[in-house]
Amino acid sequence: MNTNTVFRIHPTINFARLGTSDEFYLSPETSAGLPLPDTTTTGGLPIKPGTESEFIDSGDLRDADGALKRQGARFRLFAYDIVDVASPDNYPNGGGVEVVPGPLPDGRVLQEIIWTVHLANKKSGAYNVVPSRGVKAFADGKVPQLRNPSVYGDADAKARLQTLMIDPGPRAIAASSTQPIAFNAKTTPSYGDGDKIVQLLDYPVTFPAAVYSQLYQPSGPLDSLGELLVDDKGRLVVLPGKGRTAAIIDEYDVPVPLTGDLNNSGWFDDASDGPVSAILVFDDGTTEQAFGAWVVCCDPAFAPQIRNVVSIWDDVYDAWVRELDLQPDLYNRTTQQFNPDFQPAFDSMIRPIFRASALQRWTANLPELAVKAHEAVDAIDGEDDPSKTVMAGLNYIRNPNIPGETNVGVPLMPLSVGDAGLAFLTVTKTQYFFLEQWSRLKFTPDGPALGPGEQLDFASLSNCLGGRYVPGIELSYPVREPDIYITDWRESRSGPFRIKHQKLDYAKATKHEPFLSGGWIPLHNQTDGLQPGDLSKFMAVPWQTDYNSCSIHQTSINTDGVNTSTGTPTMLYWSWPAQRPDAVYVADDVINNVLPAQQWSIRGAGTFADNPATAATFQDPLQCVTQWDRIGIVLQSTAFPGRGFVPEYYLEAKSRLKVTGIPTNPVLEWPFNANPPKGKKL
Amino acid sequence: MIESRPPPNGPVLLTSRKDYIYYTMKIDKWTLPHLKQHLQFAIDLEFWTIPFYMSALYSIVDRTSDAFQFVQSVVNQEMLHVQLAANIANAYGMSPTFAAPVYEGKKIPHLDFKLDDPDPVRRFSPFSAEIGPMDQERINAMCLIEYPEWKSPEPPDLSDTVTEYPNIGAFYRAIAFGATQLTEDLNGGVNQVDLFSAYYRNLPSLTVTDRGEAGLNQVDLLIQAITEQGEGISRAREDIVYSFQNTATDPAPQLSHFEKFIKVRRKLPETYPVTPLSELSQSSFGPVLILRENFAALRAALEKLFSGKNPGDFFRLMVTVGADIQNCWTEGFTPRFD
Repeated sequence: MNTNTVFRIHPTINFARLGTSDEFYLSPETSAGLPLPDTTTTGGLPIKPGTESEFIDSGDLRDADGALKRQGARFRLFAYDIVDVASPDNYPNGGGVEVVPGPLPDGRVLQEIIWTVHLANKKSGAYNVVPSRGVKAFADGKVPQLRNPSVYGDADAKARLQTLMIDPGPRAIAASSTQPIAFNAKTTPSYGDGDKIVQLLDYPVTFPAAVYSQLYQPSGPLDSLGELLVDDKGRLVVLPGKGRTAAIIDEYDVPVPLTGDLNNSGWFDDASDGPVSAILVFDDGTTEQAFGAWVVCCDPAFAPQIRNVVSIWDDVYDAWVRELDLQPDLYNRTTQQFNPDFQPAFDSMIRPIFRASALQRWTANLPELAVKAHEAVDAIDGEDDPSKTVMAGLNYIRNPNIPGETNVGVPLMPLSVGDAGLAFLTVTKTQYFFLEQWSRLKFTPDGPALGPGEQLDFASLSNCLGGRYVPGIELSYPVREPDIYITDWRESRSGPFRIKHQKLDYAKATKHEPFLSGGWIPLHNQTDGLQPGDLSKFMAVPWQTDYNSCSIHQTSINTDGVNTSTGTPTMLYWSWPAQRPDAVYVADDVINNVLPAQQWSIRGAGTFADNPATAATFQDPLQCVTQWDRIGIVLQSTAFPGRGFVPEYYLEAKSRLKVTGIPTNPVLEWPFNANPPKGKKL
Repeated sequence: MIESRPPPNGPVLLTSRKDYIYYTMKIDKWTLPHLKQHLQFAIDLEFWTIPFYMSALYSIVDRTSDAFQFVQSVVNQEMLHVQLAANIANAYGMSPTFAAPVYEGKKIPHLDFKLDDPDPVRRFSPFSAEIGPMDQERINAMCLIEYPEWKSPEPPDLSDTVTEYPNIGAFYRAIAFGATQLTEDLNGGVNQVDLFSAYYRNLPSLTVTDRGEAGLNQVDLLIQAITEQGEGISRAREDIVYSFQNTATDPAPQLSHFEKFIKVRRKLPETYPVTPLSELSQSSFGPVLILRENFAALRAALEKLFSGKNPGDFFRLMVTVGADIQNCWTEGFTPRFD
């Protein structure tokens, strides 16, 4: 082993996204909505397969049959030189060089890479999502009620694991491989061990079809969680499942109904997550293990360039800054104070918040006042005197350090529904500190550059929904828990934001015993790492019902039906507007660069709502598990070749939800209200 | 025309607001210039309240407090009232101007509380019409401005030399009287602005789009909205009429401005400390200078907005002025608008 070099996989967490097509494109490696050099196209666009970084366009979203393409999560290996062995690592490191089979910078020759990934879906055996409690439902030694309580036992009970868990086992693939390998019941589980790929003939593979003789599977059999392949440089690509669902058939031969948005008993989906590891095999026969990554297979990105005001990056970064000593010059963990002399970088720490605010208009029905105000926010640059801008004094920013402000609505921003138990969203404490420093004229134009691998970490996480984990779209509140990460990152040189893999001894796998357990839960001092399926299990089952319902809400959805907001109780606010488009501009309706009226993203047959609270959703939840793939995708106008759109627009492409004539449910001007309770006035 | 009615002979059953206006006013003849003058007065008064209330609002430290929330909801409605008054003015052929409001001594535009009966000043003293934090003098002034017509209204003096009224109710009754007389000069649909209808889902219209009797009904509706929201109906402590209540963002939409201010007055909130002028150097007046500059630009934008012209970055300015006021207080300055 060369003690002066370590290898890390990046992104540390990457996202494969479900689709119905066999075809795919690659996960974006730029950050949503942020400017890019030498182009008017902003970050966040996925990448064409077989290319380094060529963006997809609107013609790449669906295959020839109209099926929605999947997003493959591409992982790369990076070598980091250790300049001073005695000196722990820092963030940002700024270094790192991608390595592919062949000669390495340190003189060795990399002959092969053996990638191993283990995907699992533990949703149906996991605990309920509790909208009013979030992670607090696990506090004080307690846990929420289990899903599918009719299957006897606790979360680790053999009967529950064998019945409710989907575990195809691990799969290994060599960088030199020419064949993909699927996470299904037909292929043999395998893993990398030294310079070999070991077959696991006795691995206890479990899929619902092996347990239930009859299943309702409206989009086809749920028989795979995805597949692995490698590109021409030996990089790993993880493809997700096809977005299929399965429901138990009851004793009357009827599928069990979808009774809610989050915790549907008797239902399975094919979202998943799990560890990604790599063994480097050198030409001298030696091997080296890279620091591993994690892949999450989750909802499609229906608006990949629309930045969330609070992204998963913001939550992860905030947790690492305040709880894991990421940057001691920024935050002192002992005093629990931010350093008043720290100067955030405008371009990477402040501007993303401003950009995000301006982009919301493309996926939400913002009133003109908000659009214009957000444009003024977006126009602020690093040369402006903050006190002369619309953001003077942070007058309109909800302060996360004042708990009561989560109940204050207009005009405080962000104006979307808050995290579990809270009426409204706030930026993270670290984001707010950056804004405060900017407001005090304590900022720099740009900060220390990220290394290329670190840039991938940032891009990947910043393209996902943060802040409101009820339960979320890609990941939920566990991303804020220090327990899930490798915390000795400085000394071990793993780098930050890396999920700790639980050590799994695959040699001990036997046919008749579940290999995985119930796994990690938050706030229970479990620090031995995560198993496959330990992150996606906190998401809704099936995910489609949650995506469908989380369009617009009264804030009381988070507070057990009790209105705690300062406004009218029936007022409706956006749930996840950047990641779950509500109202969109349809590209085909834009004439001569004149924007048409917005349409609901989910529209057409089956979406008529007699209560505005359920506008922009499939009214029958069964429809959302069969037609989610028909929803259009919002892309920047530069991704519409030959259309002549101005680059400032972000427009919906390729929706297969047809509206004929004049919509019966037009997009309403905000503010608007849910129907009042029976017998009450608005 | 309403003046063609015979004078009342004995008790009159008041079945409509027009009846109410007619029979409680002196019969007098208004001219169009006189009405336009009063509509400009209305703009002057409504616009005057916004910096005054906003300055008090943003002096409050705790944004979660009832005081902050109540006053903010009033400020929002005063912006609505400016729009409503401007829409009426435009319907009568006059696009309003937005001169810099003057905040001196105890002078509030077009209101003379001494004319009221009972005189409310005894109850709401001391008061000040100068810009300041949310303190006793400011909240008393705010209560006075929104003071209800406590007794059965006496007919206001409608002679053309009158420029001041005992309370807002009387002021708008005078305007309604003149507007009714000049129905033939009413042309709806001219330079009408609607920024707030989504916040008032139960109000049929916030603009004047018609002419004749139908247009007058719209004018009357807008006047009712202003007075109902401001002072409540003629007796205090009754919920304002349902149709005039904010349906979106108001923490207590049923309360009039007066009622909200009374609640604030019971327990004044903590406000930002103000640095004495003697401790400030001229060069440190940055926040005040920025506010004055942006406020002047906002006034210009308002004139454009309510005269059918493109107001440019009106929305940005509207939002920015609020931020500037906040910035003044947090930096230790009292905001200025001159």
